Amino acid sequence: MFFRPGRERKVMRKIYSGIFLLLITAFIMGMGKAPVVSKVYIRKFDNGHYQLIVNKRPYIIKGVCYSPRPIGKNHEFDWWSDPNKPWITDGRLMKAMGINTIRVYQTGQNPDDVKKVIRDLYNLYGIRVILGHWVGYWEYPCPLYGDKDFQDKIKKEVLDMVSLYKDEPGVLFWVLGNENNYSCWGHVNPWSSDDIDKEPDPQKQKIMRAKIYYSYINSIAKEIHALDPNHPVALGNGELIGLDIAAGACVDIDLIGCIIYRGKTFGNLFRSLKATFDKPVAIIEFGADAYDALLKKEDQNMQAFFLESQWRQIYQNLANDKEGVGNCLGGTIFEWTDEWWKYNESDPQGWGVHDTESNWSNGSYYFDITAPKNMNMNEEWFGIVALSDKIEDGINKRLPRKAYYVLREFWRNPYRKIKGQKPKWTYKAKKTEKIRGQKIELKSQP
Amino acid sequence: MKKKYASQAIRITIITSALFLFSSANAGAKEEGRVNALAGQIIEAKSEAGLLSYFEELKELYTREGKFTDFLGALKALSGKNKAIALGPFIDYYSAYARYSQLKYLEETQGWDEYFSKGNDYRTQIVEYAQKAIDETTVKDALNIYARLLIWRFHKDQEDVFSEEALTDLMSAITEYARESKDMGAIKDIADALLSYNEKAKARQLYGIYVQGVVSSGLKEEKIKEIAYEFYQKGNLELAESLYDVYIEMAMKSYPKEKLLTELLDIGSLFSSLSSGPNDPVYAEKIFKKIEEIAGKDSFTEELIYLRAFNLEKMKAYQEAKDLYAELTVRYPEGTHADEANFKTGMILIYTLGDIKTGREYFEKLSQKEHASPQVISSIYQLGLLSQWQEKYEAAKEYYNKLLLRVGEDFPETAALAKKRLNEIDSGKPMEYSLKTFMDLSLKNETQLLEANRVELNTSPYIVKKDQGVLISSVPYGIESGCVQVEMQYLWSGHIGTAEPSPEQASFNTTYNQRGTKEINLVVVSPTGVIDRNIDMADVR
Repeated sequence: MFFRPGRERKVMRKIYSGIFLLLITAFIMGMGKAPVVSKVYIRKFDNGHYQLIVNKRPYIIKGVCYSPRPIGKNHEFDWWSDPNKPWITDGRLMKAMGINTIRVYQTGQNPDDVKKVIRDLYNLYGIRVILGHWVGYWEYPCPLYGDKDFQDKIKKEVLDMVSLYKDEPGVLFWVLGNENNYSCWGHVNPWSSDDIDKEPDPQKQKIMRAKIYYSYINSIAKEIHALDPNHPVALGNGELIGLDIAAGACVDIDLIGCIIYRGKTFGNLFRSLKATFDKPVAIIEFGADAYDALLKKEDQNMQAFFLESQWRQIYQNLANDKEGVGNCLGGTIFEWTDEWWKYNESDPQGWGVHDTESNWSNGSYYFDITAPKNMNMNEEWFGIVALSDKIEDGINKRLPRKAYYVLREFWRNPYRKIKGQKPKWTYKAKKTEKIRGQKIELKSQP
Repeated sequence: MKKKYASQAIRITIITSALFLFSSANAGAKEEGRVNALAGQIIEAKSEAGLLSYFEELKELYTREGKFTDFLGALKALSGKNKAIALGPFIDYYSAYARYSQLKYLEETQGWDEYFSKGNDYRTQIVEYAQKAIDETTVKDALNIYARLLIWRFHKDQEDVFSEEALTDLMSAITEYARESKDMGAIKDIADALLSYNEKAKARQLYGIYVQGVVSSGLKEEKIKEIAYEFYQKGNLELAESLYDVYIEMAMKSYPKEKLLTELLDIGSLFSSLSSGPNDPVYAEKIFKKIEEIAGKDSFTEELIYLRAFNLEKMKAYQEAKDLYAELTVRYPEGTHADEANFKTGMILIYTLGDIKTGREYFEKLSQKEHASPQVISSIYQLGLLSQWQEKYEAAKEYYNKLLLRVGEDFPETAALAKKRLNEIDSGKPMEYSLKTFMDLSLKNETQLLEANRVELNTSPYIVKKDQGVLISSVPYGIESGCVQVEMQYLWSGHIGTAEPSPEQASFNTTYNQRGTKEINLVVVSPTGVIDRNIDMADVR
């Protein structure tokens, strides 16, 4: 076989070019298929404002708490493995509304199922997931945060969760606990330790418990950061209670996830937080029920009224609003759908009934506070989407409430909705500090 | 000249016709006539004096019917119609006010369709109109101040981030306004508004400016006192107190001592807990202190000591109240209030100050009195109770039997309690759980284990007649539990009248059919332990 050098070079060039093209194509195709971890972090501006950044773009959390339990099932139902995939229907509705995030309190039992949900929501609708962990709050007999074995066991669970899902592109951040701080104050899931028992002063006991709890959360946060540098860690705190102690003991968390039920607004929450523990905040649970306990009938308007008002305040306190506190990253409404099992969770018959009895009282939701015994909060009616007992696509039919539409409108043009509220006072008004950091246009999020 | 007036009349007719359009739907003919008359006065006004009152009345006529949009239309129709005065600031301010009131009205009446569809537009308009009114005026103008007030109220209602700044702005502006203007009415209006939002410190500050304005106008002491009393009667205690303070200051310079003391006593009584009108026991005590400074403690009569002691008791200043009740028992042992003072001294000593021994001595002394007043009977019951709690059952029985012998047909409530206790002892049962828990917590000197002052307990009214309804209510504080509702138990005991409240009841209504001082005991328990205990006393007369 004779080879002419010129022809040989041409042939070889063609072969190399082909191989190169093949490699490039394979690389590009491979890139498309391989999961690309989202890089999520929080930017702090010179003026002290905070902003969540996802893949180099500002991200406002417009979210809902998500626990899609069908009528007749209770909290033990593992919806992650529901063959009817309610998240497909829900994700479509959420996307149409403008929701970009869901918050889940704890992952399901089967990691493959969990990954499937996260991927479906992200790939189909661009919806990201805030993954939470109870951090032993509901462990029997109580969350023994002062006990080394208990600490190790729970920490391992959390870190296992992080290891399993940290590479999922749809993960937004981690939330440690949900109102667990109340256990330090002794009225819910109280716990103690030998040292605490030795202290006779109940007030000092509380402080001791809080220091132990927040230090423990801090140690978990540090280990998560070592394991997963791409996602922030939030502390899931009830109200602002205990955060003065957390400010000294829990410095490694990236943001505070607050659970707040203050009615029409969040009051001075953003300013108070700035003063006590200067971390960014996401309101990870807030909202209003859609049942008037006084008139004993559904009231979608009342719910929509509270939610719209709450969202206005969230937007006023996002970064780059010159007049706001600038420490809010967004919020996740409690909740997406009603949960019919909640009023009497020990009665399986009740799980199939949409109870109208109230579980608790909150005067900030003033329209129906004069209901008997002031019991006005209806736990089974918090969904911005109601459930029908009719089945559609294998799941309870979704019936969006008025809040769904009101918030959809709000999110379509939020800045118009809150624009103009701040007048240009001209008389000796003290201006807040000037923004010196890089300004970023707040554009609508995917 | 005639021609000029004729054309003016035609112009007014055109404008008022426009106002008719907005007002005729619901307003009666009389109101329509008034609207037109006001419009005419606004158009014809030659100076700004009086304009505010015309616009205020116009506002009232429209807004009380909920005709906010019509009001805005009427305001627009007035625009540019007065050639002598710029109506713009007035129109802008009242337009802002109309939208502000409309938004509140929609929320209150739950007019949700309009609220959701137009709410954001209205919010924008409130600020835009109010800002225009501010821009078109200076801080020397009342309208400027009212516009700033409106902006603050708007933000305050929303509890948004701007409310603090708006308040600072308002206070700065009104301070300047007070320097420049002699019209104190606007300052009082702003103070009233601040008070209605519970901004007491700021309201007091402005009332202070208002009062100085009133004083500088040269009013005499008696006139100031008269104005102060008018505000007291209207329930504006903050302003009434500010004016009384000025009155007292003036009186101290000019009145003879005797007259001054009489005046102070009147004022103290007016604000004390024993007053039949609105009261402020803290202010009353301030006046009593002043009397003490001027005339010394010895000048206090029996009535004045009692008044002050009672006032302190209702302020929950128990140590001071006890001292005065005890003083009363020493200085006036046979006086009108001796039995009540004796009994209350014992109760306060034992159940709030933890001094069983001394308290018991007061009960012993009282129980030995020959007459059978309600407090004498109650003191015997208390002695029995203390003995029973200390497991000195024979002594307890002795007290209870003594009580039953002395009461005869009288004092059925206390007699019933004594019989209940005797029955417990005779049948070998423990003391009623609620009462025993209360006594354990109060007397075992373990109060440091409680989260003290976490339960507020109130009786309303605290001076009642027989068979008059009484509300007994409690509020536990600081029960932080988030979304997990903590089921509290309310353990009621003592003289709680005809009611039988269940442990789930944080409050209840009751009546008493026997005169006397009624002790109401409460222990609040959560699933994880005792929150606190508290005691209150009502006087049935």
